[in-house]
Amino acid sequence: MDIRTVTVVGVTGIMGANVAGIFASFGDAKVYCVGRDIEKVKRAIPRIVKSVRADVIAHNLIPADFNNLEQCVADSDFVFESSKEDIRVKSEIATRIGKALKNSAISATGSSGLSITEIAECYPENMRGHFFGVHMFNPPYMLQLCELASTKYSDEEMYAKLKEYLRIKLHRIVVEVRDSPAFLGNRIGFQFINEALQYAEKYKDNGGIDYIDAVIGPFTGRSMPPLATSDFVGLDVHKAIVDNIYANTYDYAHETFVFPDFAQKLVEEGKLGRKSGGGLYRLVEYDNGRRRQNVYDISTGLYRDVIPYIFPFSDKMKRQIEAGDYHKAFEELVDNCSQEAEICLSFLLKYIVYSLYTAEKVGYAMEAADDVMAAGFNWCPPLAMYQAMSYVADVPVLIKKRFPEICQQIDVERYLAEARSSKYDFRVYFKSGG
Amino acid sequence: MSEGMSKVYILGGAQTDFERNWKKEGKGMIALLKEAMTDGLEGAELTFDDVKELNQENRVACFVGNFIAEKYVDQGHLGAFLTEVDSAFYGVPSARYEAACASSSVAIDTAATKVRSGDYDVAIVIGWELMKTVETRVGGDYLGRAAYYEREGKGINLPFPKLFGRLADETLMKYPELDEKRYMDALAKISAINYENAKRNPLAQTRKWFMSYRQARTRGTETNPLVGGRLAVSDCSQVTDGAAVVVLCSEKFIAERGIKERPIIKGYGHRTAPLLFEKKMGDNQGSEYILPWTRQTVLDSYRRSGLTVDDIDVFETHDCFTSSEYAAISAFGLTKPGKEYEAVESGLISFTGSKPINPGGGLIGCGHPVGASGARMLLDLYKQVTKTAGEYQVNGARNGIMLNIGGSATTNYVFVIGAEE
Repeated sequence: MDIRTVTVVGVTGIMGANVAGIFASFGDAKVYCVGRDIEKVKRAIPRIVKSVRADVIAHNLIPADFNNLEQCVADSDFVFESSKEDIRVKSEIATRIGKALKNSAISATGSSGLSITEIAECYPENMRGHFFGVHMFNPPYMLQLCELASTKYSDEEMYAKLKEYLRIKLHRIVVEVRDSPAFLGNRIGFQFINEALQYAEKYKDNGGIDYIDAVIGPFTGRSMPPLATSDFVGLDVHKAIVDNIYANTYDYAHETFVFPDFAQKLVEEGKLGRKSGGGLYRLVEYDNGRRRQNVYDISTGLYRDVIPYIFPFSDKMKRQIEAGDYHKAFEELVDNCSQEAEICLSFLLKYIVYSLYTAEKVGYAMEAADDVMAAGFNWCPPLAMYQAMSYVADVPVLIKKRFPEICQQIDVERYLAEARSSKYDFRVYFKSGG
Repeated sequence: MSEGMSKVYILGGAQTDFERNWKKEGKGMIALLKEAMTDGLEGAELTFDDVKELNQENRVACFVGNFIAEKYVDQGHLGAFLTEVDSAFYGVPSARYEAACASSSVAIDTAATKVRSGDYDVAIVIGWELMKTVETRVGGDYLGRAAYYEREGKGINLPFPKLFGRLADETLMKYPELDEKRYMDALAKISAINYENAKRNPLAQTRKWFMSYRQARTRGTETNPLVGGRLAVSDCSQVTDGAAVVVLCSEKFIAERGIKERPIIKGYGHRTAPLLFEKKMGDNQGSEYILPWTRQTVLDSYRRSGLTVDDIDVFETHDCFTSSEYAAISAFGLTKPGKEYEAVESGLISFTGSKPINPGGGLIGCGHPVGASGARMLLDLYKQVTKTAGEYQVNGARNGIMLNIGGSATTNYVFVIGAEE
């Protein structure tokens, strides 16, 4: 597929800018960078260049504003819309793109979970087949995941060509997903993160947010603890994702998508996370220049210093991981009967089950769950997690014992029996620090 | 090799993922060695129990390649550390070998010699380096000890880029008919090819990075600053954490186990050029080659293997900088000295060319954990000639050659490997 000219709508947003960088670098395409405010667009250009660490792409980036949208679109082989996550805004832009799009061109939305089919219907009938969902993860230079969603209107040949382009030319790890709320990666990832947030509330007297992050930290197969991740992404984005899933899907984990009240209050107060100067966590700078991480204490409603928790099970796990003895680390987890080890193990087991279950519903293959979690979240992917734990324990037995209610609703045994070995190396994801 | 000598086979091995930052993972030398050794033995279809059993009759030994762990991780006596990997190594002869960035080639050479002589039937080579334990400037100073530190390294910021920048200057001076732009563009192309090749290698450090010919030839910008004379960041290999394991064995072991279709080491070369860069350049006056001892090392390996450049299907070279890969092109005999750009411009050395160099990305694309690079090259050649290189497989590769250098092309090591005739 020969894509030489691309329009990216919404480059003043972080994701739009970063995706423009991907097209201009790996894609070696001329990119019209469109935003509402031309001055803001111009200021975004150096950020785009920096996102792929290549000055040489600067000449590929052409700033434009919404007045020139049709002109840019008409000249493009590919149009990528990365505007506000609001169906009205996206529909309006899609209608404008649809009218100007070349017959041979492809169009896509970067929506992280709105209905692709609904947006496709804003296009003229003859162009609906050219429209797809292309969902990348931030920052795309580091995270190669690209979820590709088609609709009932999709042109199969176009779809195959686009998939090839994303994979070969843009070096994306393409995962084909159904047009389902939040697609696959965020559905699995935010099930875990939101349930962690619910647990923070449940265990608020043990410390809450920092307590849960300490229980399922980097030693459980991730770079960042789950609630620190929510703080990084922003509670508003987190809420939008789980609200969308809660309202538009139904499965056995439905209630784990309920956004907790305390977090709702933080959103209302504008305490969204790192981007707003504080949320679940807050970085406090003292007069002497020292910085300190504070955390929101759910039971008092105040910020306090993060507690440096030391749990015997996690301490032992970290030491084993540090020495490269991963199996022994898992033994420490499985054999420990403390409340913290039990919470930790439960989260990891539920993660495996929910991933395999959801991959079948939203993806097209079980390996899709591995790809989205490794390439989109940098978490130990579920099949690799299953494999790692299986060295020291009978995982199906652990699951049956702990979650009889889940086993009643879905055929857990079948999912586990069908699980194939992972192409990912689990060792990379388990860190001893943090 | 000469008549009557017994053959040395390559059983297999493994490398770690060179993208990994072990410090960030909160892991150190022990974890690195455990993972690399576990994977390496598996790659050679051996187990820790095999090692234990072979050791009962003193038939197995270990050869550790590492440049400067004393600085990076505050540790010496590295041969002994395999006993921390597994109790199977209790009592197994093991020592560390060092020749700067050619450290694991000395380990390979010693291992091969011990197998050839019949002292051991299985020789496990493990090369490793952890370099991300310190910041770039400090690491660059440590690496200065691969040159004559007192005179070429001490107090100089990033001494090695400067030395290889001087190699670029000297190349232009030695071949006055070589156009500067043509030369610099050839270096940029070399960089772009290595990065492009790394995209096909699932264990390459730069597999997700963006690099293009245009970016590589745009030097002196914010994202591609100059680091050594006319050389920019895009001309440099990487700072890498990693390890590579290759297991060698005797004919006896092959026969005993009924192992089939393993390549052999067909020849080697080992020469040491004058240490000081200035003396090195003074020494090349009578030669057509900019690095005559590097060329001689290649010739020695061709003579010992009974092969010529025409017989070689795949090349691994020490592209610590683009200027060293450039010099290697004529040293291999792919072009006349001074005409190396021809092989770059014609596509001869690119992945689809007939004489591909560094199909897995080399030191620039795959990464350069200095003490591991020689073993990594041998492992990659093994993968090529056994048709197990996956996406970076070179079609029809039967024979391969590797050039591993230490310092500013001071220690030169070459191995030729290939299928048994």
